[in-house]
Amino acid sequence: MSNANLIILLSTLSTGLILGAIFALVAAGVTIVYGSIWMPNAANGQFFVLAALFGWTMTVGWGLSPWVAALLVIGLSVPLSYILEILLIRRFYDVPNRNISYFVLSLGITQILAGIYAITYGRWSDQFQLPPLVGGITLIGPFPIANNRLMVLAIALAILAALFILLRFHRYGRALRAVFQNREAATLRGVNVRAIYSLSFILGNAVIFAGGVLFALAYSFDLTVAWTMAITAFAIMIIGGPGSVLGAVVVGMVFGFTQAIVSIFASPTIAAFSYLGAMLLILLFKPSGVFAR
Amino acid sequence: MSDVLLDVRSLSKRFGGVVALRSIDLTQYSGETLGMIGPNGSGKTTFVNCITGHLKPNSGSVGFSGRAITARKPFELARVGLTRTYQAVRIFGELTVAENIAIAMVDAVDPVSPERYAELADWLRIAHRFQTQAGSLSLDEQRRLELMMRLVQQPKLIMLDEPVGGLSSSEVRAMIALLAELKAHSTIFIIEHTMKVIRELADKVVVLLAGEKLAEGAPAEILADQRVIDRYLGGGDA
Amino acid sequence: MTAMPAENTPRGLAVHWPLAAFTVAAVLVPTLLSGNRYLAFVAGMTLLHILWATGMNLLYGYTGLMPLMFAGLAGISAYFVVNLTSIGWSFWLALPVGTLAASVAGTILGLPSLRLKGFYFTLCSLVIQTVITLGFVYFASITNGDTGISQIPRPSIPGGGELTGLGYEIVIAVMAAIGIAVLMLIVRSPFGRRLAAIREDDGLAETLGINVTYQKLAAFFIGSLYAGVGGALYAPYIGFISPRSFDVLISMNIWLMVAFGGRGTIWGPVFGAMLLAPIPFLLQDYYTVKDILYGVLIIAVTILMPGGLASGFRRKVPKAAVAQDIPARRLDPRRAA
Repeated sequence: MSNANLIILLSTLSTGLILGAIFALVAAGVTIVYGSIWMPNAANGQFFVLAALFGWTMTVGWGLSPWVAALLVIGLSVPLSYILEILLIRRFYDVPNRNISYFVLSLGITQILAGIYAITYGRWSDQFQLPPLVGGITLIGPFPIANNRLMVLAIALAILAALFILLRFHRYGRALRAVFQNREAATLRGVNVRAIYSLSFILGNAVIFAGGVLFALAYSFDLTVAWTMAITAFAIMIIGGPGSVLGAVVVGMVFGFTQAIVSIFASPTIAAFSYLGAMLLILLFKPSGVFAR
Repeated sequence: MSDVLLDVRSLSKRFGGVVALRSIDLTQYSGETLGMIGPNGSGKTTFVNCITGHLKPNSGSVGFSGRAITARKPFELARVGLTRTYQAVRIFGELTVAENIAIAMVDAVDPVSPERYAELADWLRIAHRFQTQAGSLSLDEQRRLELMMRLVQQPKLIMLDEPVGGLSSSEVRAMIALLAELKAHSTIFIIEHTMKVIRELADKVVVLLAGEKLAEGAPAEILADQRVIDRYLGGGDA
Repeated sequence: MTAMPAENTPRGLAVHWPLAAFTVAAVLVPTLLSGNRYLAFVAGMTLLHILWATGMNLLYGYTGLMPLMFAGLAGISAYFVVNLTSIGWSFWLALPVGTLAASVAGTILGLPSLRLKGFYFTLCSLVIQTVITLGFVYFASITNGDTGISQIPRPSIPGGGELTGLGYEIVIAVMAAIGIAVLMLIVRSPFGRRLAAIREDDGLAETLGINVTYQKLAAFFIGSLYAGVGGALYAPYIGFISPRSFDVLISMNIWLMVAFGGRGTIWGPVFGAMLLAPIPFLLQDYYTVKDILYGVLIIAVTILMPGGLASGFRRKVPKAAVAQDIPARRLDPRRAA
């Protein structure tokens, strides 16, 4: 293999891994919220961008270290989610077919946040770029990669691993999965379902925020990434099976690589078409998703 | 007894690996009231679902009034005169009683005459409820509305899935009396897991157990059948 | 329907006076405002949205389907009309062709509603809307991509001249009035009864002899006609179209007009459109405030519908078991095999 081909291969591989890990984070966050409280959060893309913009303000605006900013942003998601949960989310917990109410609600949130960004950040700039976590470049064979992106990838994978351990081994995780499977049965077994709802809404959003701030640390971004991310996360969730974190992670990785490969050979529109097409097919023919329990 | 109305031949239905119905044969004649009993989960509702097009049987055939209707869609079956009710009462709860009945007539092939309509409404004691929202009726009234919505279509066969489910004992008696009158001019197929309704109404009883036909015959014979007593009635009269 | 007991639908003149009043007002308002061309234009746009909201009401209010691709369908018609007139077609011939294209597209894209219910169908329609928007961007040879098409010529009037200004507004007003009248006729017809049955419980409707597949697609065909007529009239009226003119936000806004005004009533969505459609034009410099305001209203509407968006169409009812909208294939045994 020639050096040029090897560079393309490695570059595709690294982009695919980073994008895949970030897609996996966001989709895992969306699917945790959907699996527990049955909320298909279409505002996930706006939350993602909110985290990125917060990160930008804290680093570029206030001069904080990107490490501190990233932690602050993820920490900030907890009170924000909790307030949102009390104000808007909680009141639908017992509504039949609440998923459609939540869906529309989240579209309303999307419009509000998009409007706010346009008025505020939209006046500042088109493109936002954060300072790197770490400097320097590592050579993998002939291919140079920024240490910053390797760090982002490592953190994203670490968060995913922590999420898995939490869901599988911690007692909150087990209670969460019990609620995923059957709300009534979980209640009978003494699980405080409402507490789990709040917790999973907060956890899911924290993971989405982590995805957003990590994305901003690795790539420059603009405001239009919100809707693309929202639709992509939905596609991943539907294909992976709503409520399946494993499905979200696997399909998220697949989407990351697809995006990386397609962006070399064709336009991003083609990638979007292919996601949406795959999602439509799954919706129509196997709505429980590929990784259905 | 006259013509064969419902003619089911070796009907089978599986869900994944679970056999829900195993090669059921059954014949119902016009004017004959057929009762199907069996414990919960014995496949009674699956059987009706397979006949009325709500499920596709894996094998076997269904004939109705001389034509093959296997796996036809529910709306097509309604138009050839085969209709059903549901175990959990099913009406358009947010519409008025009159609107419910109007919907039942909109695609009826042979709707009742105005005189007959009025008679039915009086007989079912819902005439005074026409402008009431159907969801606010009592369960007993909802059951009678459900029946009205079938009768205005003048079906050849009505399959009733547990018509007294959830009713109080006095309402059960009233419903049995109503169905006893209905028998006189309609052919009905009743699913029940309690013996009482079947004993009072059915001309012929089919016992279903774990997806298989255990016995078939007149109610008196079935009640005396030792196998039925052992395996279903458990010695006592349910 | 001979045997029907008297229903509380008054007949005769009493029924038609609101429609007559609407028609007079729809013609009068732009006429009175014609001194200020901009305000008259806002009135015209509002009337156009009344037409769209009425079509969406047929689907959402009367059939119980919630597609979020209505603007995309309007866009299909608009691009058809702009392209056909640019190759020399008369607008008056392009309008029915574009409308028909939107209707055929709407009927085909409505097919998923046969399998998917509630949220799953709405999500599916949102995906379709996104694909349509991407398509408008991608097929730049027809649509001029993100830049959009500007200076769209006004329709010519037979006998010379162009349809502009007040004349155009009156044409839109008449179309809106016709749209409302058609919806009124549908609601009272047997077709309307079938749609109501499907909205309340499509399984029961089918058991009662209603061909649910056919009726849903008919509803999509007719609902999309409204999108199509509106889209065809929109393009030359505003003079500029781009993929953003028909994107998901516009679909959401049309839905909001119906939900805010009161779905499943003739006049509710009309008022919804009257109140909401002028807002972005009157805000002008603070255009993006519209998004925030609409977002707040969407949330308010969602919270204020007590039984959730999937129920409570007409009156509050003490609910028995409510059907849950798990994907149709999983719950509905009829389609399982």
